[in-house]
Amino acid sequence: MSEVPNRAPSGSFIRSPIDFGGGLFLIAIAGIGYGGAFTLPFGQLSGIGSGLLPKVVSVLVAGFGVLLLVQSLVIPGERLERWSLRGPIYVLSSVVVFAATVRSLGLVVAGPLCFIVAALADRDSRPVEAVISALVATLVCGFLFKELLSLPIPFDVIGVLGPLHGPYEALKASAKALVSGSH
Amino acid sequence: MVDLFNNLALGMAVALSLKNLLLCFLGCLVGTLIGVLPGVGPIATITMLLPITFGIDPTGALIMLAGIYYGAQYGGSTTSILVNIPGEATSVVTCLDGHQMAKQGRAGVALGIAAIGSFIAGCVATLVIAALAAPLTRMALLFGPADYFALMVLGLMFAVVLARGSVLKAIAVILVGVLLSTVGTDLESGEERLTFGWSEIADGIDVAVIAMGMFGFAEILRNLESSQTRDVVHAAIGHLLPDRNDMAQSAMPIARGTFLGGLLGLLPGNGAVLGPFASYTLEKKLAKDPSRFGRGAIEGVAGPESANNAGAQTAFIPLLTLGIPPNAVMALMVGAMTIHGIIPGPQIMTKQPNLFWGMIASMWIGNLMLLVINLPLIGVWVRFLKVPYRLMFPSIVLLCCIGIYSVNNSPFDVVMTAGFGFFGYALVKFGFEPAPLLLGFVLGKLMEEKLRQSLVISRGSFMTFIDRPLSGGLLALSLVLVVIAVIPSIRKGREEVFQGAE
Repeated sequence: MSEVPNRAPSGSFIRSPIDFGGGLFLIAIAGIGYGGAFTLPFGQLSGIGSGLLPKVVSVLVAGFGVLLLVQSLVIPGERLERWSLRGPIYVLSSVVVFAATVRSLGLVVAGPLCFIVAALADRDSRPVEAVISALVATLVCGFLFKELLSLPIPFDVIGVLGPLHGPYEALKASAKALVSGSH
Repeated sequence: MVDLFNNLALGMAVALSLKNLLLCFLGCLVGTLIGVLPGVGPIATITMLLPITFGIDPTGALIMLAGIYYGAQYGGSTTSILVNIPGEATSVVTCLDGHQMAKQGRAGVALGIAAIGSFIAGCVATLVIAALAAPLTRMALLFGPADYFALMVLGLMFAVVLARGSVLKAIAVILVGVLLSTVGTDLESGEERLTFGWSEIADGIDVAVIAMGMFGFAEILRNLESSQTRDVVHAAIGHLLPDRNDMAQSAMPIARGTFLGGLLGLLPGNGAVLGPFASYTLEKKLAKDPSRFGRGAIEGVAGPESANNAGAQTAFIPLLTLGIPPNAVMALMVGAMTIHGIIPGPQIMTKQPNLFWGMIASMWIGNLMLLVINLPLIGVWVRFLKVPYRLMFPSIVLLCCIGIYSVNNSPFDVVMTAGFGFFGYALVKFGFEPAPLLLGFVLGKLMEEKLRQSLVISRGSFMTFIDRPLSGGLLALSLVLVVIAVIPSIRKGREEVFQGAE
């Protein structure tokens, strides 16, 4: 790579911010890894203990982190890209919202909630459009996964669909009868 | 030779049963449907659709999964050509000339030649798999734990050599994957490792959780911030079948791409990813007028697409014969097969010949089906792709959530996936490639097991890895690869291969 597109300004102490950040990131991961394995035994060569691999690998990861840090001071490289907050915050919250509600309320509630919170990540989203699509997407998914593929995902735990439930079951039963009748 | 045909006949008998044909068809169809979604590559697609195979017997499930995989590959190419958003690394190359062709009103021909090239490559690759499977399996039965360990070291070294960008970062990211693989209960002592007291991860982290987070969610986050608006082709799709002139221009690139991709796919360590890049570079070098590349040269679609599909298929060989996944998609396949109670390795072919040959035969059938499904459905995909991204990505998020929840019926998994989504986003921001991590994660588990076994057998002597000719040779080869990886001139050549495509 002769042309670095996002070259960091020359003259600063850190010549490759992206590698500097990467090095710190690796060291942080290694720290967590070593911490989690701290109390585990190393063992001997004939009977390796449970702690050997996590500890050795953590040390190696940290080592590469240090190498990257050193390299970032010597070899010029790219600037760190800007991190956007809006995308990660809304998209990841929507996933957490789904996880929190799917068991207690069912897909009928969790699906639209997840869709709408995720849609907030994009500035161009329009409220009415998003709500309608959320409902449609949920019903399509519900039909696909629940009825066609019979996955055991909770669908309507608290009976939101209430009055619709009876006719729907009747429709389903008659469809089933029709299918089995045609065989 | 006779054996080969007998085996293929057995496979055909299994794959041509009505149920398996239907599963293959369904897999190809839904695989393409999800794979067409912009920014959703094969890894995310397989993870999302994994739960739908749960109720099926292992043979049918594997046939369906393979169909999903090819469908996802093909769907990715469609999106690359029509929208210019590659689902993953291997379709980046297709964007270059494919999208240009589409802008010139030749989208149909681009899609057509991609389908034809993929089909030819798929046919050849299926035969290669069938021919190599038996000898390699016989060889694999000679492997002891030490040899397996050495082979996996070699695979990871290949992954380093073949990765894009910094060697330091490639090794580091693989090691992080290995570190993640140690999370959970230690199989020998029963001690919990790196669980920080969370009982939910006492059984380890599911490969699906990591895959979905790092390839599903992280990709959405990155697409959301790229300011370039999606560029769905508005020009007419044009006629689908390439004319005689197009075919003549594409014939050799397809042959060369198939050869290159098939060969690279065999390599342990992400070789399949290199195939399209290598093919593109080769075609550009061989072309009379290289300046046509990047402006809608049909060779630039035909070659890489064939290489992509050939590599995607031959990558099954190391997995099915040795039990070692050569790339991230195959690493995920290990997880999928384990869920169905199949442990990848030489024993599949000897103990479950129906499953093994049925799956191989279905690969060929799947390729044929893709050709049949996709050419008439292109109009549908085009309309599908015109849905604005602001509505598309929340739907993808929802599908991902349902998919990952259904793998273990665990809300905790869903939350963890969100965590890995952010982790994957951060990795990319720091300039790391996420795919080697998944490979390191799956190989890490296997490697620790084999390392311990061989040290128990040798009573704690590391010499066992050097004394055995096989493992000694493989480790020596790994060492050579490391040296190669850091030699500046070779590094330059490697960068050229990737650069040629940029």
